[in-house]
Amino acid sequence: MLNFDWLTWVSLPAAKGVFLALFVISGLLVLLIPKRSIYEGVENPRWWHNLKLWALGVLAIIFTIYVIF
Amino acid sequence: MLSGIDYFVVIAYMVGILVLGLYFARFVRSADDFFLSGKSLPFWVIGMSIVATDISAMDFVGVAGQSYRFGVSVGNFDWLGSIPAMLLAAFIFIPYFWKAGVYTIPEYLGHRYNDGVRAVASLTWIIFFALDVGVLFWATAVMLEPLMGWDPWFSIIVTAIVVGLYTFLGGLTAEVMNDVVQMIVMFVGGATVVVVGLYHAGGWGGLTDKIAAMGEAYRNHFELVQPADTKTPFPWTGILFGLTLVMSNAYMIGNQAIVQRCLAARSVWHAKASMLCGAFFKMFIPMLVMFPGLIALAMYPGMEDGDQAFPTLVKNLLPPGLRGLLFAGLLAGLMSTIDSILNSTATLWTKDVYQRFIRKDASDHHYLVVGRLATVILLIFGVITAPLSKLFPGIYVAIQTFLSFFQGPAFSVLLLGMFWRRATQWGGLVGLVGGISVAVLLFIFKGRLFTIEAPFLYISWWSFLAGVLLNVVVSMVTRPHPNGRLAGLVYGLPKVPQNSCEAVVC
Repeated sequence: MLNFDWLTWVSLPAAKGVFLALFVISGLLVLLIPKRSIYEGVENPRWWHNLKLWALGVLAIIFTIYVIF
Repeated sequence: MLSGIDYFVVIAYMVGILVLGLYFARFVRSADDFFLSGKSLPFWVIGMSIVATDISAMDFVGVAGQSYRFGVSVGNFDWLGSIPAMLLAAFIFIPYFWKAGVYTIPEYLGHRYNDGVRAVASLTWIIFFALDVGVLFWATAVMLEPLMGWDPWFSIIVTAIVVGLYTFLGGLTAEVMNDVVQMIVMFVGGATVVVVGLYHAGGWGGLTDKIAAMGEAYRNHFELVQPADTKTPFPWTGILFGLTLVMSNAYMIGNQAIVQRCLAARSVWHAKASMLCGAFFKMFIPMLVMFPGLIALAMYPGMEDGDQAFPTLVKNLLPPGLRGLLFAGLLAGLMSTIDSILNSTATLWTKDVYQRFIRKDASDHHYLVVGRLATVILLIFGVITAPLSKLFPGIYVAIQTFLSFFQGPAFSVLLLGMFWRRATQWGGLVGLVGGISVAVLLFIFKGRLFTIEAPFLYISWWSFLAGVLLNVVVSMVTRPHPNGRLAGLVYGLPKVPQNSCEAVVC
């Protein structure tokens, strides 16, 4: 059990799907963050202060890397 | 050996770093300036500093060696092992720590649980950092000896003086500004090896073709996700449960050297943005540290020691001048890690031990002096203990193993402390100490319990789980702090006004 033998039946494409799903879920959770929390501490908010865009950009890149490899 | 122009590049780098660090010393007037840069840092400086702190010269050599042996799956440590955790830190944990106004993570744990949890967490980090400084000094000496022809003791003393001076005088500001330069030098040096190496290997297509032609043993070399029953240390189950869910979060959220930088941000927005900025730069690290191992495999197959992959590439491919640049990059990696450890340990000692248990009501200037003295003492300790690495070659692995015992349980305490108001002080203490004990037992009996080569990912996961279970069970039978005492420390309990007797400071 300690070696996760009970998960050896999961195929490699399915395992990769788990990681890709993790990135998608992370992205969805980022989208749910309230706007006031995103701009907290900014006096004059501009579009590039939107940290959701930063997070989604980073997730898009890592998603692409895991699709390729 | 380096040529004349290489010497010039390396010495110019060291002098430049020293001058830059001393320039920022003029801005240090209080303990707050020394430990947290007066909470004035912008996000991009912190983001670059996080990456420079995280990566050392050992990563260049060690990760290239691992990718030579196991392929791209080692890249999981910088991708899956960092990015999700950095997002979680940016949006959930860092804003909480920043608003709580703490200097250290153990300080938060002390407010949330009790001084016992704070002391165990703080002393563990101090011991780990103190041992690590000596190892890093020795690694610098080992790197400088063959290339510069310097005696190990001379190298150690020179590095200690350069890093020690700017850390002692300039505190966190000097350190992070130097980290910015060091990250750029590391990126340029690392990218040089990759570009020149890929050119000699026939481009990306040539590289993949050569490795694919090596036969069945190298079939999974370009697969990030490895089977659960692989004999390599990176099965996907270990990567998911041990690395992604536990170790990476423990490192990015619970490591004082990383989090302290975010606490020095000029606003809560900058604190969050710094982690996201760091995550962006972090995605390029595997390309710099992992690709050289693959290039070496394509060009020099059959090496018995994978750790020779990176030095072999440098020796055979880089011309004079570029070799000095790369060497400066490696030196930058080591120095940025050493300076971070020095300042973080000084902060832990001054805030969590000295100010809490030895002298509570001294002046701000007094704590600044104590912080600087701690830096000097740790520096001297690091210099004295540096040769231990020669006497005990396995000490680096031993220190990393010691840290892996601690990370899972420490993260469990932090997670429950922030999200479960029912977690009690006794639950936290038993969860932390019990979780560490479980990790030690799993390590002792790893030969009987685990089937993979180095089961540290599994040990992290199971010790984390043990920490959670022990914390929950003990918390259910002990009395929690009242809600007012937890205001501002637990999710869903906003901070109450400071004039209330239930505020954290009362």
